[in-house]
Parts: sequence; structure tokens; C-alpha cells
Amino acid sequence: MSKMARIPNLGGARAFVLHRPHPTVQAITRQLSAIGLEAIGFWPELPAEALAADFVFFDVDLGFDEQFPWKPGEAPMPLIALIGSEAPGRVEWALSHKADAQLLKPVGNAGVYSALLIARQSFEARKLLASEIASLRQRVAERQTIVRAVEVLSKGAEDGRAYAQLRSLAMSWQISVEDAARRIVAMTQEEGDDDQSDRA
Amino acid sequence: MKRHIEIGILYSRSGNYRLVSESCRAGAMNAIADVNADPVVPFEFIPVERDPQGNIDRYASGCADILANSGARHIIGCVTSWSRKEVIPILERAGGTLWYACPYEGFEANEHVVYTHACPNQHLVPLLAYVVPRFGADGFLLGSNYIWGWETNRVARDLIADAGGKVLGERYLPLGEVDVARLIAEVQATRPDFILNNLIGPSSYAFIAAYAELGRRDPHFRPERCPILSCNLTECELPALNGAGDGHLSVGPYFHDTSGADRGAASVSSVMPASSFEAAAYASVRTLAEILTRNPGAQWTDLPKVFAGTSFRTPLGDIAIDPQTQHATLPVQIGRIDGTSFKTVTLTKGVAPDPYLSRYDRTETFGRPRLRVVS
Repeated sequence: MSKMARIPNLGGARAFVLHRPHPTVQAITRQLSAIGLEAIGFWPELPAEALAADFVFFDVDLGFDEQFPWKPGEAPMPLIALIGSEAPGRVEWALSHKADAQLLKPVGNAGVYSALLIARQSFEARKLLASEIASLRQRVAERQTIVRAVEVLSKGAEDGRAYAQLRSLAMSWQISVEDAARRIVAMTQEEGDDDQSDRA
Repeated sequence: MKRHIEIGILYSRSGNYRLVSESCRAGAMNAIADVNADPVVPFEFIPVERDPQGNIDRYASGCADILANSGARHIIGCVTSWSRKEVIPILERAGGTLWYACPYEGFEANEHVVYTHACPNQHLVPLLAYVVPRFGADGFLLGSNYIWGWETNRVARDLIADAGGKVLGERYLPLGEVDVARLIAEVQATRPDFILNNLIGPSSYAFIAAYAELGRRDPHFRPERCPILSCNLTECELPALNGAGDGHLSVGPYFHDTSGADRGAASVSSVMPASSFEAAAYASVRTLAEILTRNPGAQWTDLPKVFAGTSFRTPLGDIAIDPQTQHATLPVQIGRIDGTSFKTVTLTKGVAPDPYLSRYDRTETFGRPRLRVVS
């Protein structure tokens, strides 16, 4: 993982606050402006441009799925839940949106700064994890290709040595074993095609 | 007869940071005297004073006592960040305002506090921007073991990395500790380009004295090769150094001009402030007096409106206070210690506060990174 956040450059970032007009919005806006962010309040629905926001604060007490221009749990930015009532159903709903941090209402003079940093860090970690999982899934899906590449390389000889050869090819091409396997399989297919054209 | 308005004073008159605290208190008291003697001001300030005696647990109670048992709604006080953080909940509950006249580590903007001394973009950032090209980027970080040292050094680590340097060591001493032999040995072993000193009080004096001794043995550790840098060292502590600090650097919004040429400060205050602590505490009281002259009942809720578009005449110059963060726009001066005063080496006027370093730009601060020859 990349190293811990340094001086967190939050200046100029945009935060949408999805909450009905209320002193809570003022308290959050004041803290956001002091930190150097632009705060934009909205209720009851987030506009399309919220997709480009750097952070979204959302009310858990009165919130519902249709307020967001994305599916629950798929927000493209860090989310901060604004929790007043700690009713289990509401907390569950906030969790379904994968809130990265929370602030308890009433919001006073502090809390926004740490919520921003925690939300950003856990959002980044979640994104990184998701992309690692996606790439691992893809590699698992390439098992078949590896088997075929080993078959091609072994030409009937020992599989162990063929696999070692595949790995050393991947290393010299500086690509993953899966990519090397795909390349080898593709090459043999091309050769096959050439053979066919020769025959024609 | 003038109306009386009570004003809280919460400075320790004893303890580790007594010199700083007394300097702030002197500024506040001088300003109260000047306000009371000023025929234009329609009221007199009556100080309501509590002395926490350098004991951290007595700040919250002192603050609560002032707010509960007097009419004072504004308090001038606190030196350490720890004490400021102790009184904030009390201020929030009682609707009071603290005028805080010391440099601090930033990352705070409370509605119940007005910050009239420097935050990191007005002390540490310009100080390292000055030092790195002249002395080098490798630093050794020192601090007393509490929030000022931790947070200032944390920012320094990032700045040093941005400048292409290395942190060669980072060490903390308990408040009041004066055994610095180990620190000196580590500094000597690592041979940094500069030392960032966030020790306070007796620990700081002991380190500076021992470092001067080291410089006599090894020329690398003389101020012209490897200076000690401070973001909070002012004239009020120089007598405690007995000349051991000569040549080292400090940054602040104000240095006492011994030549008497600083007519700006002289025209505002009857007594020329002896340090930036004194000047900032003085500025706090005068600013408050100006606000209360216009609106006698002004409370914390009124302050942002009052600050917007106004500037205040103070010994720090005409200063504005940012209504969003309630931090002052201040001059930034870097000074070299010379006996019991400073020689100013750079002065930048009107530096707007950026307590969260939201506008920090590494290229602007340290220039383009130099490419290394790799062949």
C-alpha cells in the first residue's frame, strides 16, 4: 500500500452535504470552509454533478436510496454518514451505502476534519482492495490458459519443466505468468492459422 | 465615568513556560492600560485574572470560574496547545471566546477561539523554505512530549520529504527535562543540516546551551553551518540562553526593534512590545476593544461578521482576521539571535492564515525538485 497520507491537501476539494436545511448543515459548512473545502448543500436529491464531488455527507435519519445518482454501495467518492437517531434500521441503511466515516448529530465545532481524513483513507483502502480482488479474479480465470500454454511448451515432455520455462519467459518479458500464457497460446494459434493458409 | 467591561486573563505566573506566559500577560495588561487611558474608547476594561500556575488541570477550572463568576465573555489566555484544548469545551458550553496569542501547530479553527499569533504556514513552512536552500534539507527534529512538538514535527517530516531531505532523528523529552546528553550525542552522530527545536522552557534552554558547547568542539555544529530553528523562540526567553543561542534562527510575526525605528508599533502601543507574544496579546486586547466600542455586547456569534472586511491597528501592523478560521493575517519575519534581540533576515507582510495547510504547494515552497544525475 502507498505510504500514509502526508500534508492532506484538501484545499479546493468539493463536498456535497445531503441534508435538509438545518443548523447541522451550517455547522458542517463552517468547518468545511475553514478547512478550505467548497461545501454545497442539497435536499432531497443529489444532482448529477455530485458524481464529481470529492466527498459526500449524507443524512441517515431521513435518507433513502433514490437520493443518490448511484446504486447503494457504489458511490465513486468517500461518504460520511450524518447520524442522529441510532435506530438499528437506519444504521443498517447507512452501512448499505458503505459509509466510510460517520459524524454524530448535533454537529458542533469539530469532527469534520477527522471524518474527512478517515473517510478518504478507508475509501482509498476499499478501492485498492477491490481492484486487487478484481485482478486476482482475472488471474484465477486464466488457469485454463496456463494449462494450455504449458501443454504447448512441453510438447509431450515433462510439465514441470514447461511450467518453469513459462515462468522464465514471463520474467524476461516482464509480464505476469497469465499474460505470458495468453501470449504463447495466441502465438500457437497464429502459427496454426499460418499453417492453414500455407495449405490453401 | 466610563462603563466597566470585565475581561478574563488566564496566564500562568509560574511553571515551565513562565517566561512566555508572563510576556503574554504583560502585553494584555499594557493593552488594558492603554484602552483605559484612551479617550475614544467609551469603556474601561476590568481584568478578571486566574493563575493556573503552569498546572494543566487548572486551566479548565480557571476558565469556568471566570465565565461563571464574572461578566467576562472574552478571555485572553493560554500558552500551550494542551491548555487551549482543555478550555475549549468550557468556552463552548458557556458561550465564551478565547483570544489565543501564541504560535501553535494548526489544524484547528474553533468558533470560540481567535488565533492572533502564527499557524504553520506563517511559521514552519516559511522557515524551512528559507533554511533548506541555504543549509541543506536533512534535519533533526526535537520536541517536548506533547501536542506542539508532535504535530509541528509531523508537518516538518512532510516538508523535509518534499524538499528532498531526510529526517535524521526525531526525539522527545518530557516537559521540564533538562538532561540533554543523549540528544546531543545523537545530533553529533547524525550530522544534520539543521535542528528543528520544539522543546519548550528549561529543556530548550538546556539543549541550546549544550549545543553551543558541542559547536566549540566541532565546527559542523556552529550556527553558520547547522543552525537550530525555532517557531516559538522570542526575546522573552533570550536572557535565559545567556548568549548560547547567538546565530540561530527563529520565525515570528514581530521582533522587538531595538533601534526604535519601528514607528508603526510605537504609534499603536504606549510600551513597545518586547516580544511577539507580548505584541499578539496586546493586539488581541486592542482588537477586542475596537469591536466592543462598535458593538458593546459582541459575543462569539458576532465575531465572523465583525471580522469580515475589517482590519485592526496593532503593533503587528494593520491586521485582518479571517472570518472563516478566525486566524490573523500576519507578517512573517525570520530573525537571527543576537544577544537579547533578533536581527531580521527576511520579512514578508500580510501572510494570510492557512491553518489546515490546504493551500500548501510544495513547488511554490521549495522550487522544482532537482533531478539527480543517475549515469
